[in-house]
This record gives sequence, C-alpha cells and structure tokens, in this order.
Amino acid sequence: MAALGTLDSANLNGGQKLAVKFFTVAIALFGAQVLFGMLAGIQYLNPDFLFGVLDFSVNRMLHINAMVVWLLFGFIGAVYWLLEDESGTPVAGLGLGNLMFWVFTLAVVVVVLVYLLVQVGPGELKSIWLINEGREYIEAPRWADIGIVVCVLIFFYNVAATFMKGRFTGIGGVLVLDLVALAGLYLAGMWYTPNISMDQHWWWWVIHLWVEATWEVLVGCLLAYGLVKTMGVRRRIVETWLYIEVALLFGSGILGLGHHYFWIGTPEYWLAIGGFFSALEPIPLVAMVVHAVFDAGHHKLKSSNNPALAWMIAQAFGNFFGAGVWGFMHTLPQINLYTHGTQWTASHGHLAFFGAYATIVIAFVYLAVQKWRGNVWMSGDMAGGWKWKWAIFLLHAGMIGMTMALLVTGYEQSQVERAIGGSSWIAYFEAQAHVWFVQGMNWRMVSGWMFATGFVLLAWDLMTIGKRETRPARSVEVPAAAMA
Amino acid sequence: MIEPVELANFFTVFFSAASVILFGAGYALLFAWSRVSGRPRLMPLAYATYLGLAVSVLVLGNAANLFNNGYWTFIVGLMLVGYLVAPHAVWHLCVGTHAEGDEAIKVSQQR
Amino acid sequence: MSETQTLWWASESFWKKMAVWITAGSAVVLIFLTFDTVNQITAGGKRVPPYSVINNRIDYVFDEKRNYQVPVIGPEEPLFGKVLNEAEAMALVSRGKLTTQAKNCMNCHTLLGNGAYYAPDLTKSWLDPMWGSKETREETMVAFLMDPTDKLHNTIGRRMPNLGITEEEARATVAFLKWMSAIDTNGFPGNFPTIDQSDPAPAPESVSAPTETPAL
Repeated sequence: MAALGTLDSANLNGGQKLAVKFFTVAIALFGAQVLFGMLAGIQYLNPDFLFGVLDFSVNRMLHINAMVVWLLFGFIGAVYWLLEDESGTPVAGLGLGNLMFWVFTLAVVVVVLVYLLVQVGPGELKSIWLINEGREYIEAPRWADIGIVVCVLIFFYNVAATFMKGRFTGIGGVLVLDLVALAGLYLAGMWYTPNISMDQHWWWWVIHLWVEATWEVLVGCLLAYGLVKTMGVRRRIVETWLYIEVALLFGSGILGLGHHYFWIGTPEYWLAIGGFFSALEPIPLVAMVVHAVFDAGHHKLKSSNNPALAWMIAQAFGNFFGAGVWGFMHTLPQINLYTHGTQWTASHGHLAFFGAYATIVIAFVYLAVQKWRGNVWMSGDMAGGWKWKWAIFLLHAGMIGMTMALLVTGYEQSQVERAIGGSSWIAYFEAQAHVWFVQGMNWRMVSGWMFATGFVLLAWDLMTIGKRETRPARSVEVPAAAMA
Repeated sequence: MIEPVELANFFTVFFSAASVILFGAGYALLFAWSRVSGRPRLMPLAYATYLGLAVSVLVLGNAANLFNNGYWTFIVGLMLVGYLVAPHAVWHLCVGTHAEGDEAIKVSQQR
Repeated sequence: MSETQTLWWASESFWKKMAVWITAGSAVVLIFLTFDTVNQITAGGKRVPPYSVINNRIDYVFDEKRNYQVPVIGPEEPLFGKVLNEAEAMALVSRGKLTTQAKNCMNCHTLLGNGAYYAPDLTKSWLDPMWGSKETREETMVAFLMDPTDKLHNTIGRRMPNLGITEEEARATVAFLKWMSAIDTNGFPGNFPTIDQSDPAPAPESVSAPTETPAL
C-alpha cells in the first residue's frame, strides 16, 4: 500500500485504473471545449478575429464536439470506476477495454486534427466519410462513427460480461439495458439522405434520445451507486427509486422527442404531442424536490468527500434550473415558433448540459482522485481547500452569467428578428446589431473568462487535492465528530 | 392547432412559465418540509404557493392563447391537477418505499 | 418493522415492471408514429415536396384555415432555366445537400431552425428579399456562395468565409435551398416577408408595391 497522499495506481482496482485514464482525457477535452467556446465567443464581438484561419464554424464545431466526447469519456470512466465494486468481480476483458481506450483517444485526436487542418471538403460523399458530416453534434466523419460504435460495443461487452460473471444488481441491469439503447440509437444518425426533413428527423433520435433519455438514465445509475456508497442508503430503496426514475424519464423522454418535431417538416400532430409532454415535464421535477427533502430529513448529510458532494448538489440545482426553468420557458409551440433557433436555445443548452452532466462527471473525478491518493481525507479543512471552492464558485458564476446574458440576447432576438422581422436576412442582422444583443454578448464574454478561470483552477485542484494529506478519509458509516 | 403568442405577450409567457416551475418547486418544498419536520402550520403556506402556481398556469394559458382550443385547455387543466397531486403522490411513494425498517418516518407520519 | 409488509405500489418488483412496461409502451407508440411520420416526410409525400418542385415557383403565403404561412407551388419557373425530371432534380438537390454538409453550413447557420446562431436561418432563404429581384436571384446566390467574403453582408462586420465552393456546387446548393423552402414547416418561420415573385406587370403602376419590404 502506497503512502497516503501520493497518486499510486496500486490504490485502484483494474476497472478504476482504466477509469482514471478516461477521466484524464475527459478533463483535457473539457479544457478544449472551454478554449474553442472562448474563440467563438470572441468572434461574436470581433468578427475579423481569426477569420479565414479558424472560422466560427470550426470553433463552434469543436466546442460542441469536445463537449459530447468529454461527457461520454466521463460517463464511460465513471462506469468502469464502479464496475468491479458493483459486480463484485474483476472486469471481464479489461485488456480489450484498455485497447479501446487508446483507439478511441487516438481517433478523437485524428478527428480534431482534421477539423482544424482540413476543415471543409468538396460536396461529395467522401467528405462525409473522411472530413466531417456537417450535422450539428455528430459532425464526426463516418469512419469515426463506425469506430465509436465499435468502441461502445467493447465497452458494452466489458460491462455486460462483468455483471454476468459477478452479481447482477438492479443498477447493473438498468445500466446494461441503457447501454444497448445508447449504442443502438447512434446508428440512427449514421446514414446519408438528400432529404433534410428525414435527416433531421433521425438526427433527433440520436441527439434527443441520447441526451434526454439514455444519458439521464446513465446518470441515474451513477447517482444510485453514489448514494449507496457515500451515504449508506439501503440498496433496495435506491434501486426501487432507480426504477421509478427510469419509468418517469423514459415515460416523458421518449415521446418528449415531439418538441423537436415542431418545425422540421414533420406532421402537425407533433405539436400536440410535444406540447403535452412539455406541460407534464415539471411533474418529475416536483417529484424530485419532494424526494430530496424527504431524504435530507432522514439521512444526515455527512460526507467523506466534500468537493464531490458539493458537485452532486450542484447537479440537482443545475438540472432544475437548466432543464426545468430554462426549458419550460420556451418549450410550448405557441412561443417556440419565435424562440426556435435563437440564442434562447444557446442559453438553455449551456445551463442544461453543464448543470445536468458536467457536474456529475466532475463529482466522479473528485471521488476518483481521492481513492487514487490512497483514500485520503477530503472533508473539512483541507490544505488548499480554497481551490475547489473557488473553482466551483467561478465555474457557476461564469455559467450563470453566460446563461443570463444569452437569455437577454435570445429575448431580444425572438422579438426583433423572429416575431417582427420574420427571420429574414435583414431582420436577423438588425437583431444582431441591437444594443441588447451586443451588450449581452459582451457580458457573455466576461462570464466566459470567469468560467475559463474556474476551469484552470479546477484542473489545478484535481491535480493537487489531497497531495501530502496524511489523514485517512472520514468513514461515513460511523458518524464522525460533529462538523459544520 | 396553435395560435402563436402575440408580441406584446412574450414577456408574460416567459415570466409566467418560469413562475410555474419556481412556484412548483416552492410548493413541493414547503409541502415536503412540512411533512418531514412535522410542522402542519407550514401546510397553508404550501397551498398558498400552489395558488401562486395555479395563477401562473392560468396567466400562461391566457398569454399563450391556450384557451382558444379544447385540446390546449385540457392541457391547462391537466397541469393544474397534475402539479397539485404530484407532491402528494410522491410523498406516499417515499413513505411506502422507505416503510420497511425506517421507524422514524412512521413516527412522524402518525403525528 | 417486521410487521410492515411493503405495499405493492411501493415495491421494487412493481416499479421494475412499470419501468419496463412504460419504456416499452412509449417505444411502441414512438415506432408507430415514426412509420406515419416517415411516410409523410418522404420527398413527394404529404409534407415534403418531390425534388422536381425546383422546376416551379415556390411561394410562402398565409393560410387562413391553418393560421400560418404555408408553401405554395406556383407556375413553372425552372431553376437556371432548365426543366429537370425527378431523378435529375434529386441528383442536383443531393449534391447541394452534400455541399451544405461538407462545408459545415450548420455550424454558423440554422437549417429548419437547427444549427448555430452566427448567421441567418436558411429555411426560407430562397425567398429572402435580400436577393433583390426574382430575375437576378439565382445568379446572385451562386456568385455569393462562390466568393462571399467581399460581398455586402450587414453593417456589423460579420462575413461568410470563402469555403472553396465551385460553381457546380453553388448551383446545386441553390437547388437544395429552393427545394427546402417548399417543405411544410408548420409555419416556421412566422411572419416571413418574401421576395416579390409576381410576374412582371404589363402596366407600369405596380412598381411601388415591392418597395415596402421590411425595413424596420
């Protein structure tokens, strides 16, 4: 056993050794997301910045692709992290999983280099195969698509085979089925059609059903594991609630697809279906509030890892405001006609992705670092404990600032461009030149700098937290001495 | 099928929609807290918050022209009922799922 | 605790079954709707026009009954003066669609409202008054796509970069945009002011009509 406070892979089991590799790449890609987001943000204020070198389209593509991939790497890492513990047996086919990690990472590097250096191709199928598919969020060229499916299948094999070999818990069962859906749905976005309505119809299967159904359930599994492990909640209760959550999420999420089918050529009945599920969307949210209060009343909050707990609480709030408040404000078709495709969407997207997903991955990385350093103390009064607190503050202040600024610009845009001007070219630019818009973009940039500072601090903290710490982690089973 | 929102009502729609969620959370929070901590005096406050929620829903329905059409009016009704009963239903579920071996809850329930 | 039997509606097995049934039920409804939707959005279906629609004038006019603007297919007005059959039209539109993908249009523009918000929506761009007159529109669009950097865009300095679009690709892209403008999008975008496409009037008195297009 290595000394407390030093990073040593001997502290980790096989799956966890692989998990920390995924986490490392995830955080690096998070940095890339921030970087390219900043570049794109600057271009709103100064359109000549890097014009013809790294155009907005390239920066924006890298910004959103880095996000999808870093969250995916984070989720995969988190699953490998809990796999051996949850199944009670070493990961089956770990060597294959390791190979998959290197292949996946290499593929990401090649795709990014092609995005940066080649950028665009001729209007032929070979560009789609080799350079970029030009479809928001799933721009990765076709060869990489196939690679991603192969990687996810290997991942699926690791997870399913490990649970089969060991114990198949409720969490394990939900996880395995969710991964089948995750891999299967990706196939819906992998073919070419000249028909843009058909294209976007299937494209939403990947984007919506991934993000608003399978990812949510995956996070549900991770949180369920977290509750059992860090708060000592009994497994039967946690698993019952996981099933309730699956019922609510899939029950509202699968047909909630309707709210993306308002304006892309799909039939009018989707307005009714989308509106129905939008109106019901707050119900699961309210359910979660009641459950959280109920739980808080019966399990005293004591934690062996304060940063991780803080990020999990941030997840609850982020999910509530990002998906709940920001989503509901513009989801009914009566208003969405004017907000669709404006900065409203950007405002909602920023807060929802960060709140619902980035937070939970960061929480898991904190859990990983703790164990990696030999399960060190990460409760109150840590040496350098200001870093994680400032990181969480700056990241949130920056994100809220960006979201608010984009809300103002989106509000202005929906009125000036959409409602009055009817989305013509002239109306678009009139809205972009409006003082509210310009001011909003300036504030977004200021908030972006704040967010970027928070990211640097977060990365620094993840590399140093618990270093030279000599106290072992607080045990959550036995209540330790009273702590604020 | 739908009647798009008037320009003059944009702000009302956004504001009332946000209020729906915030009042909804407030109602759920007060309701659950009142039950968890055994403070029945908080319950009227919870229902007052629900009243705010109901007003927000009605304002939203009006601003988004939902009452000009039977289907959308039905949705408004569903929202009013759904938001009212959801905290009750979830509370029962919480008590039910924790029933086995968690006396503390039963005690506060019986009060 | 021993005497409390877990209530059936709060039991793990009940919710396990519920999770499975609700998921399966939603999926079945979705698949059923998907068959109908795919049928309706196939080119030449109820909501998405055949590719050969590019041989005709396309307009976007308010429909009293549906309470929003809908695409209207007008008299023959072939693109670049050449009537194409369905297969030729499909090949051309497809080439245009591939160009929009290979040039990554969607990461500045929105198409059908989806994409990025750095440049105008392209859903009805074929009908945008910015292209000037109906007669010069096609060539103006081609010239713009081939080298946009030095063309007039706006007053805020945002420009479209030169993406190396060839003339053939530019023409195909225009065909794609014309075809896309004929998709029934449930009235999105709303209140869209269209380019004047009326036939040249025989008498000179109709000159004043198009000048009041949107300047707000």
